Amino acid sequence: MSRNRTTDEAEDLAAGRATNGAAADWETSGDSNLADDDYAVALRGVVKRYPSGGGEPVVALDDVDFAARPGEFVAVVGPSGSGKSTLLNVLGLLDDPTSGRRLLGDTDVTSLSVAERTRARKESIGFVFQDFHLLPTLTAVENVAMPTAFDPGDASDRAANLLARFGLGDRLDHEPNELSGGQKQRVAIARSLINEPAVLLADEPTGNLDTDTGEAILAEFERVKAEGVAVIAVTHDPLVEEYADRVVDLTDGVLTGGLPGESDPHADADRRGGRDAGRTAPGPQMGGDRG
Amino acid sequence: MSADDRAPGGAAGWLRGWRPAVSMASRNLRRNRVRTVLAVLGVCIGVLAVAALGIFGNVLALGADDAIGDIGTQVVVSPNTDAGVESLSDADIASIRRAVGEPAVIPLYSDSATVARQGDQTFATVYGVEEPALAYEAAEGRLPERHRQGAILGAGIAEDLGAGAGDTVEIAGSQVRVIAVLVESQTFSPVAPDDAVYLPESAFSADGYAQALVVSDTGAEARAAADAIREEVNAREDRVELFELAALVDEINEFFGLLSTFLLGLGAISLVVAGVSILNVMLMSTVERRQEIGVMRAVGVARRDVLRVLLAEAGLIGAAGAAAGTLLTVLLVAGLVLATPAVDTALVLDRTNAYYLLLALGFGVGVGLVSGAYPAWKAANERPVEALRS
Repeated sequence: MSRNRTTDEAEDLAAGRATNGAAADWETSGDSNLADDDYAVALRGVVKRYPSGGGEPVVALDDVDFAARPGEFVAVVGPSGSGKSTLLNVLGLLDDPTSGRRLLGDTDVTSLSVAERTRARKESIGFVFQDFHLLPTLTAVENVAMPTAFDPGDASDRAANLLARFGLGDRLDHEPNELSGGQKQRVAIARSLINEPAVLLADEPTGNLDTDTGEAILAEFERVKAEGVAVIAVTHDPLVEEYADRVVDLTDGVLTGGLPGESDPHADADRRGGRDAGRTAPGPQMGGDRG
Repeated sequence: MSADDRAPGGAAGWLRGWRPAVSMASRNLRRNRVRTVLAVLGVCIGVLAVAALGIFGNVLALGADDAIGDIGTQVVVSPNTDAGVESLSDADIASIRRAVGEPAVIPLYSDSATVARQGDQTFATVYGVEEPALAYEAAEGRLPERHRQGAILGAGIAEDLGAGAGDTVEIAGSQVRVIAVLVESQTFSPVAPDDAVYLPESAFSADGYAQALVVSDTGAEARAAADAIREEVNAREDRVELFELAALVDEINEFFGLLSTFLLGLGAISLVVAGVSILNVMLMSTVERRQEIGVMRAVGVARRDVLRVLLAEAGLIGAAGAAAGTLLTVLLVAGLVLATPAVDTALVLDRTNAYYLLLALGFGVGVGLVSGAYPAWKAANERPVEALRS
């Protein structure tokens, strides 16, 4: 280790990689019980409260335990206002929990400085949004490389390869307004993968797409998770649930089935029967055939 | 990626971060061309005002300096009659020479007489001078090294009498040949050469000199000479009185300095207005692009880099406006010089004017950066989770 230990610690912390030897070096013995499972990302007893105008604070997440394994596709469902976006923000290091612990790999990332969180997001987390959120002035390949635009080295080749993998090899220099919705979302997925993240967080990824396009995007997610990335999608779309390995339900801040292997009454039915049933007859009733 | 790979490479790393920032900034500016052009125009006008008014003030000051230039370079030494000194002795002249060092000291006899030629006559001061070439220049004829015979006429008196070099004039009843006519004087001095006649010292029979001129090259040298005379010649008693205009020239220069500052201030007001318009444009633009900036932050672009992009936008507006304003100033000044023959081209091409151009250019870029700083800081520091919430 260099003599500049503080900086190294911060960087290891920010890197948030379970496989990083330096991270293990940094980790204190008190965290060992939290690292026994090989999770890509985990929340332990996380509470998130927002102050509300004068009255009682709003509890968006109430003692939430959640974890996702590498290569697992988890769908988070629940009614509007149940805290799904908050969960995604806390998982994505965009928002800090009021209490509880947050782990990325086996590194505790509960409270990081702003700069550390930014770096951890860049290196370990990919985001896919409902509105795609591509920068309109950048071409497809520039959008994909955007997270690394200010870093040394040119990521254009990597970005072009990713786009080619998603079938956009002939659209590299197109600007977002020249792309269809499905193409834009593919660019967004490619952007989320530019730094080979451990976790991909998707907020209503199919929300602005028609069913066929949505299905195509979900097929891309399957390929992403096959590479060992944990995919966590917040959704209202039954189609997403069909593709998910596990569906967790968040209602009024209470999460059920957050940990893999937890005895969730819905889980098995969703995983085994859900997809086939959904493919043949997409049911408007999301939870109707569960349990 | 090892820690070493991530270590920023000092100044090179700092510069490298600006390249993508400037590239993104210029594309963002092209998104709303009209707004960008208007902001650039604001800076352009501000820079034009600062540069043009700065140069205008400077040319005025230079022109005034040119016109009154010689005023400050002469010191006239007279005997202090209050102390009973009626004239300057050879010893006085010697001690003045010792005191001043470099500048020439020209002792003068003085009288007055009627000067006439072919019916025209006028009353003039007549000076006796041995070395007129040290203090004066001839427009006609030649000034002798040692003035032994003949008269030298001031420009004014020569015109009044219609006399030139080679003519004969009558001075106090004697016919004297004119050997030279002086150039018209730029100098404001108690020894007014335009209306004077200069004769050899031998024409006078006085005991001492009425005055002595100390002729310096610059105002500063004249001031130093005056100070030296006060200290050394007047050390024990006030034998001589001094008349110098260097102090007056200082005040005139001070006034023009003030005028220049005032004009620059006027220009600066318009530059401030331009700054406010950049502030407005940048605030609008960051509010409109709030989500985009939130996305950049969310996917891992550091606050510092967002700040760079936005500062680059403001800086580009400032730089483009400043460049256009500077160019416009050059064209405007060139046009004015061509259209106004009264303006001395040499004054306009004076090197000090370039200083005002550079000053305005720097101000323009500076105004852009300063006005962009707050919106950029605000946008970069917004929490991405807030910015993404539509």
